[in-house]
Amino acid sequence: MIWEVFRQEENGEYHTHCGNVHAPDREMAKQFAAIQHGRRKPTNSLWVVPKEEVGEIDSDDVTFGGTTDKGYRWTMTYNLQTDQAEEVVESESEQEQADKQRGEA
Amino acid sequence: MDIEEVKERAGPREFSPADDLPEEYRKAATRMIEFHANSEIMGAYLERPFIRQAPSIDRKLAFSAKVQDEIGHGQLLYRAAETLGVKTREEMLDDLANGKGKFLNCFHYPMTEYVETPMVAFFVDGAAMRRQATLRRTSWEPYAHAMDKVCFEEGFHVKHGEDILRTLMNGSRKEQQLTQEAFEEWWPRIIQFFGPTDDKSTHHDFAASVGLKQKSNDELRQAFLDQYVPKARKYGLEIPDYPRIHKNDEGRWVVEEDDLDWDEFFTIAKNEYEPGVGQIDGRKHAQEAVQWVRDTIEADNVPAGGQPPQAAD
Repeated sequence: MIWEVFRQEENGEYHTHCGNVHAPDREMAKQFAAIQHGRRKPTNSLWVVPKEEVGEIDSDDVTFGGTTDKGYRWTMTYNLQTDQAEEVVESESEQEQADKQRGEA
Repeated sequence: MDIEEVKERAGPREFSPADDLPEEYRKAATRMIEFHANSEIMGAYLERPFIRQAPSIDRKLAFSAKVQDEIGHGQLLYRAAETLGVKTREEMLDDLANGKGKFLNCFHYPMTEYVETPMVAFFVDGAAMRRQATLRRTSWEPYAHAMDKVCFEEGFHVKHGEDILRTLMNGSRKEQQLTQEAFEEWWPRIIQFFGPTDDKSTHHDFAASVGLKQKSNDELRQAFLDQYVPKARKYGLEIPDYPRIHKNDEGRWVVEEDDLDWDEFFTIAKNEYEPGVGQIDGRKHAQEAVQWVRDTIEADNVPAGGQPPQAAD
């Protein structure tokens, strides 16, 4: 049985997929995951999920969004030339990053 | 975990659904997140008519994107709240429809004119974002994660709001005058956004002691005034004489609390402010009008096949 493994590096961070393990049950999956994925990189917590419980939908099945140019919903469109609150600046830099990745996709 | 241990450990993103948390913490977190979720929904309803009323196709598109975002924020937050195990999502949505759910003071006031939109889209959203940015460090991890996504999107809302204000204040004299009038009407409500001062706040001490709240009402209001009073002035808005607000020698804003209508604020807090009752009922009607959609989905007899799904772009 295959178990997908998600690792969280620090408390409060996101659990992100990092690989999978072969194990007969949940208990063994947790132990294998700890050994295979928790030893080398900083780890605060691991999740193991039976592979067959993971639903998947991919770009063969559906046209995902995010590729159409929708300038009106990006902060960068509103060129105000004024000082922004720090949280607005932070939001804008996160959006710029996402927009850049969108262009590369 | 007992409450003393919670207080000791309370730090940013410290507690997750894996922790055994005392009821007092879970109830306080539920009250706070449910209020936030309800506010997202009620704010979206307030702005929705402007998808039609906005004067250009760009503005209509932006309002439509924004309303979609806000409803999404509500969904994220109900998820973060229901994980606490105090109330189900259905209970929270029912309470909102039935007038029991509490939400932000500003969203109890009707908004009918386009010149009013920057009061919400710029000043209220700007105030909200000041608060939300601090909540990325709240102790309830699912709430902090919801704030990551909300703050990512919210920068667009605030700048869009500022852009509307800039356009109106560079418009005809009539537009400028109507915008100033809208500002005068909304300004005291916006000042009250952060709630009563710390000494009169009912829930602050506990929420702060367990790390749910990261900044006090006073601190947030200071930070808001620091950033947004100069903005208002820059666009030619005059700060109204009342409530009296000034900066003292130490650079702190002093607000004459008695100039603000706290009776109205607490009437609103009880969902009893007459003009706002219509907005709560509006949400109830919307909830009822789409009941058939929920019934159909939950009936589990949806025919197979048909068009492949199109993800929201």
